[in-house]
Amino acid sequence: MNNSAVVLENAGRAYPGGVHALDSVSLRIETGEWVALMGPSGSGKTTLLNLVDGLDHPTSGRIWVLGRDTTEFRADDAATFRRETMGLIFQQFHLIPYLTAVENVMLAQYYHSLVDKGEAMRALEAVQLTERAHHLPSQLSGGEQQRVCIARALINDPKIILADEPTANLDEVNEAKVFEVFRTLHQQGKTILIATHDPTLGGLAQRKIMLRHGRLVEDRYSGSSGPRPARSLGVATTS
Amino acid sequence: MFFRLLLESFARRRSRKVLAVLAVWLGVSLVIGLLTLSLDVGDKMNRELRSFGANIKLEPAGAALPVRVGGYELAAAVNTGYLNESKLPALKTIFWANNILDVSPRLWTKLDGVPLLGMDLHRRPAYWKLTGAWPTAPDECLLGATVKALPANVPLRVTGTVTTGGTEDGAIIAALPTVQKLADLPGQISEADISALITPENKLADKYHLDPKSLTPAEYERWACTPYPGTVAADIQDAVPGSVARVVRRVSESQGVVLTRIGGLLTLLDLLAAVACTLSVMGVLTSAVLERRTEVALLRAIGAQQGNVLHLFVSEAGLLGFIGGAMAGVTGLLLGRWLLHAVFGSQAETHVVLLLLAPLLGLLVAVVASALPILHTLRQETAQVLHGN
Ligand SMILES: Nc1ncnc2c1ncn2[C@@H]1O[C@H](COP(=O)(O)OP(=O)(O)O)[C@@H](O)[C@H]1O
Ligand SMILES: [Mg+2]
Repeated sequence: MNNSAVVLENAGRAYPGGVHALDSVSLRIETGEWVALMGPSGSGKTTLLNLVDGLDHPTSGRIWVLGRDTTEFRADDAATFRRETMGLIFQQFHLIPYLTAVENVMLAQYYHSLVDKGEAMRALEAVQLTERAHHLPSQLSGGEQQRVCIARALINDPKIILADEPTANLDEVNEAKVFEVFRTLHQQGKTILIATHDPTLGGLAQRKIMLRHGRLVEDRYSGSSGPRPARSLGVATTS
Repeated sequence: MFFRLLLESFARRRSRKVLAVLAVWLGVSLVIGLLTLSLDVGDKMNRELRSFGANIKLEPAGAALPVRVGGYELAAAVNTGYLNESKLPALKTIFWANNILDVSPRLWTKLDGVPLLGMDLHRRPAYWKLTGAWPTAPDECLLGATVKALPANVPLRVTGTVTTGGTEDGAIIAALPTVQKLADLPGQISEADISALITPENKLADKYHLDPKSLTPAEYERWACTPYPGTVAADIQDAVPGSVARVVRRVSESQGVVLTRIGGLLTLLDLLAAVACTLSVMGVLTSAVLERRTEVALLRAIGAQQGNVLHLFVSEAGLLGFIGGAMAGVTGLLLGRWLLHAVFGSQAETHVVLLLLAPLLGLLVAVVASALPILHTLRQETAQVLHGN
């Protein structure tokens, strides 16, 4: 019905007791756009991401992702659609504690299609973690864990990347590495949706959407998009 | 990858797995122990129940019309015919020979109008109440409770008196060979008390009694291969010519009642143990699954179907259950043996089938116990688990 990556039409998510986590939001995100979802804590950023990735359902309105109406998806349909089209990055990384870094990446391959260790290793190489591939999450720093999480999100070549506060638990150095990964992904033409209240990360995006109390209060395209030479750290690109 | 997942989960989270295995192991051990007990208890109880008295009475044909006075069977006391003692060993060759625990020949006669009973004095019925000493020498005897004194011309010495609650109360009791000599009836007996392992009569036996022709061939076969009191008695009677074997209902029925009740009680205990086992395993597995809620959510987030997650967790639990159950097979049998020994002081048979049943039981318990918490976790809001701060 449309060619946009994500379309929300009066999408709302209400909880019993009258809490409107998201209140009738309409927006259209085109393929290849890098969008930062911003707003104070509790403004509905996570809620919006979860409506897009299908882990949650809108209580009103409709949602299309890559032209498919996902509003009425059953849980398993949503899971199938998600693994074919989306990569998820979490603030708390959510790595399986008893699997090594490379095994965590391979797990996403397993539920997507076929396990290919070489490919998983290349994904870790792209986030500079080759030496850490056989470590358990508990043996990795927060930044390293987040990069494993990113490698896992990217392993099945998703069209849309959804990240929820990806840098909130990271120090500056690791934060910069993560910025670089997103910049590369943007250059590759991925659609990126990042929820953050980090102004630097928000500033990198070409479009900023501000939420407050579950409502869309501002939608602004910043003139400057693409890589910013001043902050470039020369991170190897994913291929 | 699936096996890698299982394997790594086992290798790197050993303590949790050990806890689950222990829970299954304990629970299934109890179930198997009780099962051992219930498989053997019928047999053991039957042997114990011999103390109720003989459940089959062998008598000469023609003397078998029981005369009951106030509940006591007097037929033996007015017995006229005799059986030849030498024919009793034939009972060792009948189909139900292994079910015959004890054959106690007796000779009833009268001496100066007082009944005289000859019996094997090595068999002292447990329920007889004795005052004085038990006779050991051939010329010693006991007086039944209602016999006032030994008639003057009887060449026996009284060692004590006995209360039996039966016809023996009115008799002088001495060793069988002694009585045979006194009565000039060498090798003759007037009855034999037989203790046999029997199965309480059930619907099938009732059906046979109502109309033997109403049984289907399969039912007939089952009936013929079950040691019902009547079946065993008929077999005994055929083996001793000129005899009639009579089921002593008072004994066989109370044995039946006791056996049925104990069997029922043990079945109930088994069921309770199985339920308790499942519940405790469920407790352990539920907390193990709850601990891994984010893991479940993550699998969903990277695209695993609900069935995939269920399969993974249930397989893991099933494997734990199988291991715990296999261990429980061995300990359960030991427990059963110990219980039987403690209760009956006798050895249990080793039921190999229980060794095979135990791991399957463990598997089943673990699968049931894990499926519920996982289904519950799957129904939860994945989004909240993953994004909760
Ligand atoms: N399960 C829930 N039940 C009730 N209210 C919820 C629930 N989850 C989120 N909310 C509410 O929805 C609003 C938006 O939450 P969220 O999307 O997590 O905000 P953000 O990610 O911007 O911090 C908040 O007010 C929050 O309290
Ligand atoms: Mg949030």
